[in-house]
Amino acid sequence: MMGGDRDPWPPVQRPRFAWIRDHWRVSRDCFTLACRRLWSSLLVWLLIGISLALPAALYLLQRNLAAAAGQWDGRPSFTVYLQTGIEIGVAEGIADRLDAQPEVERAWVITPQQALAEFSEGLTITDALEVLGENPLPASVRATVADGVSEGELQRFIAEQSAAEGVDEVVLEKAWLERMAAISDFVGRVGWILAAVFGLGAALVTASSVRLVIESRLEELSVQKLVGGTDAFVRRPFLYFGLFYGVGGGMVAAMLVAGSLVALEAPLVTLFDSYKERLTIEGMGGPLVGALLGVGGLLGLFGALIATNRRLKQVELA
Amino acid sequence: MGSIALHDVTKRFDNGQEALRNVSLTFDEGSMAFLTGHSGAGKSTFLKLLLLLQLPTQGQIVVNGVNISQLPRRRIPRYRQHLGAVFQDHHLLSDRTVLENVALPLVVTSMRARDIATRARAALSMVGLLAKERLYPSHLSAGEQQRVGIARAVVNRPNLLLADEPTGNLDPALSREVMGLFVNFRRIGATVIVATHDQHLIETMGVRVIELDSGRVIRDEAPGA
Ligand SMILES: Nc1ncnc2c1ncn2[C@@H]1O[C@H](COP(=O)(O)OP(=O)(O)OP(=O)(O)O)[C@@H](O)[C@H]1O
Ligand SMILES: [Mg+2]
Repeated sequence: MMGGDRDPWPPVQRPRFAWIRDHWRVSRDCFTLACRRLWSSLLVWLLIGISLALPAALYLLQRNLAAAAGQWDGRPSFTVYLQTGIEIGVAEGIADRLDAQPEVERAWVITPQQALAEFSEGLTITDALEVLGENPLPASVRATVADGVSEGELQRFIAEQSAAEGVDEVVLEKAWLERMAAISDFVGRVGWILAAVFGLGAALVTASSVRLVIESRLEELSVQKLVGGTDAFVRRPFLYFGLFYGVGGGMVAAMLVAGSLVALEAPLVTLFDSYKERLTIEGMGGPLVGALLGVGGLLGLFGALIATNRRLKQVELA
Repeated sequence: MGSIALHDVTKRFDNGQEALRNVSLTFDEGSMAFLTGHSGAGKSTFLKLLLLLQLPTQGQIVVNGVNISQLPRRRIPRYRQHLGAVFQDHHLLSDRTVLENVALPLVVTSMRARDIATRARAALSMVGLLAKERLYPSHLSAGEQQRVGIARAVVNRPNLLLADEPTGNLDPALSREVMGLFVNFRRIGATVIVATHDQHLIETMGVRVIELDSGRVIRDEAPGA
């Protein structure tokens, strides 16, 4: 090199805010070009939208399941099974006594008829009676645990209650909570796997769409390089395209998920109501929409980067 | 700015074709030369090597003291920003107006839009096409397209101007005008190399003539020699 003191090809003087102007010019160009290719742009948005919507929906489902599990977890219930032949009045007495305890939020009597109805869930009551003969189930008392009762306190409390007169056994209802947690964990993992697979899909969709755009502007690409356009300069419009496709896809995904939620909300509410619990369903919050747009944009950029890097290397030497 | 030295440059293509063989030449800063020779002699290849569109198979090309074949990839754009090139097949963008085409070498340097327009119009008026700035290249005659290419080559005030058959489609009067333009650039310090078949220009312009034959230099005559 010719002594480091003088650069034979000094950079052309760039105004301070040149990059703002560059980006503005490029985004305008991209917008017009995308409008010209409106149908293929819409198609790409839809493809990316669907790829992103599925993992997003699973994420929401998982969040709701976890929230549901969490809400119950903080307030487990237990059932005090009474010895057979105990009068309903005794059961009511126990329920009242439990109700008065600070550990208990609410206690109520399950009559033998209600117990039978629960037992025969899925069967008709007459079927169940045929199997069992007459209703053999004793009355029981169900109680929900008050907030802030620790696991240890609860265990001690239940042991105490088990020893009370007329009580057969006290069962803490946790099994289905564990199942719920397991399901939510499973759904969460499926969501991650799908997010990875479909995210890759979304990136590839943008990559191939950007490739198409590049092919249609190959001449421009090589002329720009010919007159001294840097890689960054040549690449910029295509990155904008990727971003545009990705963010649009994220928008479509958000709409798809929001639409499904509207359709699913009523049955979900009914389902949760049947557990006598008030549950708020977590819907599309701003953060989720933001995340969809952000992830979509990043995947789009990533796809465009793959596509342009490959092509830029190829046009390097004509 | 604009001295060139080729040391024993050979360009062999993948198919074994040798477009240039052991070419050693020097061009002083601010000098002008015609590159001539029959079709296929290697003129375009010579210019493409200087543009870094191709790399020599052997030998060194030193521009402004720098061996350009070893220029790192990221430095190539800046090197080209200081060049002006007229191509045999124009390389104009069909979906850009004449003015936008001429402005392109300035746009890639992120110059201010107002300055770009001013300089692009100045370049267009040098080739007499200011009135057609809004047209698209397909609406121009072959000679007009060629002049747009010339305007684009000089718009960035290059210190090395390379032109491949710039007058191929021009009538004698226009050819002389374009050559006059190139001579002016040479006067402000640019090195100018023009590949041409035009014997009349070669004989009347009084500049150095380098003749290639099958990739070898067979004549290198300074003016008045
Ligand atoms: N990419 C390539 N691959 C193989 N051979 C090539 C390639 N480019 C050029 N050549 C060969 O190199 C030789 C020189 O080509 P070049 O284009 O430099 O000739 P030229 O002097 O510019 O001719 P013309 O006056 O017709 O433009 C020719 O024989 C051509 O076939
Ligand atoms: Mg040629």
